[in-house]
Amino acid sequence: MPLAMVRPGQSANIKRVTGKEEVKRHLENLGFVEGQSVSVVSELSGNLIINVKGSRVALDKNMASRIIM
Amino acid sequence: MEAKIALAGNPNSGKTTVFNALTGGRGHVGNWPGVTVEKKDGAVKGHPGIIIEDLPGIYSLSPYTPEEIVSRGYLINEKPDVIINIVDASNLERNLYLTTQLAEIGIPMVIALNMTDVVEKTGDVIDYGKLSEELGAPVFGICAVNGRDLRLALLADKAIEMKGKNPPKAEGCFSEKTEAALRKIMDLAAKAGIAESPRFYAVKLFERDKEIKLSLPPEVSEEIEKIIQACEKELDDDSESIITVERYDRIAEIMKKCVKLNDAGGLSASDKIDRVVTHRVLALPIFALVMFFVYFVSISAVGAWLTDWVNDSLFGEIIPGAVSGFLASVNTAEWLNSLILDGIVAGVGAVLGFLPQMFVLFFCLAALEDCGYMARIAFIMDRIFRKFGLSGKSFIPMLVGTGCGVPGIMASRTIESPADRRMTITTTTFMPCSAKLPIIALISGAFFGDSALVPSSAYFLGVASIIISGVALKQTRLFAGEASPFIMELPAYHMPRIGGALRVAGERAVSFAKRAGTFITLATVIVWFLSGYGFDLKPAEVDSSILAFIGRGAAPLFRPAGFGSWQAVVASITGLMAKENVVGTMGVLYPGDSLASAMTPRAAYAFLVFNLLCAPCVAAMSAIAKEMNSKKWTAFAIGYQCAFAYAAAVIVYRLGAIFGGGI
Repeated sequence: MPLAMVRPGQSANIKRVTGKEEVKRHLENLGFVEGQSVSVVSELSGNLIINVKGSRVALDKNMASRIIM
Repeated sequence: MEAKIALAGNPNSGKTTVFNALTGGRGHVGNWPGVTVEKKDGAVKGHPGIIIEDLPGIYSLSPYTPEEIVSRGYLINEKPDVIINIVDASNLERNLYLTTQLAEIGIPMVIALNMTDVVEKTGDVIDYGKLSEELGAPVFGICAVNGRDLRLALLADKAIEMKGKNPPKAEGCFSEKTEAALRKIMDLAAKAGIAESPRFYAVKLFERDKEIKLSLPPEVSEEIEKIIQACEKELDDDSESIITVERYDRIAEIMKKCVKLNDAGGLSASDKIDRVVTHRVLALPIFALVMFFVYFVSISAVGAWLTDWVNDSLFGEIIPGAVSGFLASVNTAEWLNSLILDGIVAGVGAVLGFLPQMFVLFFCLAALEDCGYMARIAFIMDRIFRKFGLSGKSFIPMLVGTGCGVPGIMASRTIESPADRRMTITTTTFMPCSAKLPIIALISGAFFGDSALVPSSAYFLGVASIIISGVALKQTRLFAGEASPFIMELPAYHMPRIGGALRVAGERAVSFAKRAGTFITLATVIVWFLSGYGFDLKPAEVDSSILAFIGRGAAPLFRPAGFGSWQAVVASITGLMAKENVVGTMGVLYPGDSLASAMTPRAAYAFLVFNLLCAPCVAAMSAIAKEMNSKKWTAFAIGYQCAFAYAAAVIVYRLGAIFGGGI
């Protein structure tokens, strides 16, 4: 399932990151890599704040649906 | 001794804070990623030959946004003698990702773990000695916000000492299979003549990085490709993922050895605050309330009280009284009295009178920025902006633009897509910058009894204009397309540092006062001359002055917007030099309290709308030209701003007639 469907307060492991090469690489640089456990801090009409490797990263809905958990 | 030292690290890890502490510099610091978009150098205090370069933050050596390219370019091509890697210790794992890449460049490095105070609070324990051993570079713990932290001087000394010493250990970061492939690539590249940073280039070649352009003979490239493919097959992954995943594995291993996490569980304070301020229902009302409160405090409450005193007493009675007394006592010429009293004191006084309000506003905005809330606003605004084809990232330049449009326009560099960047450059100055604040305060004070609604409405007018422009421009072919993806790291919240906010507010107030003393004085003298003399260069009544002639020519154009008086038109024109001039000019042309009866409140508000939205001052226009890097786009931006401002002023004036009755 895509990260966009994880509810606030829940966590899950990343299976794979899809999408354009450079965006994917940027996400990987921020810690969104295969096998990484992330949790959703907050959700605002589909946009998410994600806790990944101890930092908080804000993602829009579109990005969040490209990260497969 | 001479040396070049580069500060490199993740965005918002505190590089500029360290830079300021070491050089005594005053670079702008903010609590969000992407404050520094240009490199900046300075000499270390007490070591004139040691130059420190403050670089924009980067997450990795594979740049994503234009300002990241600046940093990588500097590190790879200009080869500093030493790198100080600033690491946010409260976010160690993610930060070390860059550290392990910097090690590959092969430049001696010192690692500064910043924000150790935050780590102490969370109860995590970092073993500096072990970390230094694992990374093969000296490690210092520092707390850069505390400028007196003695460890900062030690850090600088160590960095200077490291010149010419061994670079950190980079080998062994990846699995044995990957390392073997990298060794083979390094050998091939060395034979092809690549002498510098061999490991960095080997990793980049292995990743098939398209940005790296090395002129390798085709047969070497082919051979390297074979090595990569063999390794990919063996490890069953693409080469770029192999590097990323194994790098993170290595960091996890380092973390395990060097850090004892205090896993108390539960939510961190930042997460708890985010639950509330980014709540799906509460987020926007909270944002509106915060902005209203900021403007209420600075314009209506504290600021107005001070400004009234400065305007009515200081520049209304005390100074003119003292100056005219002095001038009478030395028996100066009539025209000189007029120049000083009606020109300089009236004009510059009108501008300086708003200094207290501006100081309070600067203070509030600096505190808001420092505590981390500003970055959340970008997140909150993204969902609204996205509906209109813009990314929430466009909001950051606009926030910076509330201080001054010039850095605001420059901040657009953090936006990846060129179409979005151009659109942001075009619309950023719709936000009320600090120089427009006196205009807002003037209109609010003279026509609306210092209501906080006028300044808050100016702020939301700015946002609304940006959104409307977004919708309109996205319809055109030039700007069409999906908005850039919104990916932004959010900083941790902390208590705003009162001292820091006071310093920022003080600096801005001083530069404001300086402008008033130089540029604006000159402009008011010109306005005074043009309004006091006719074309025969003899003193004339205001109505038959040169200025009245110029203003009357353009005035009919503004009659549909309600402010067709030549004074208002002239004020708007002088505003193109610097926005404070609008107020200075009004001060000269409407002496005393005569402004309040010169226009209806409705026309005054339309006048305000036009001046907030039309082409910005010369400084901002040249920033637009620089960032657009194209005459065509610059002309488009400025033309669009003027047309938009005119239309908005007319609409506001006409709507005011329908809804507001006769006011």
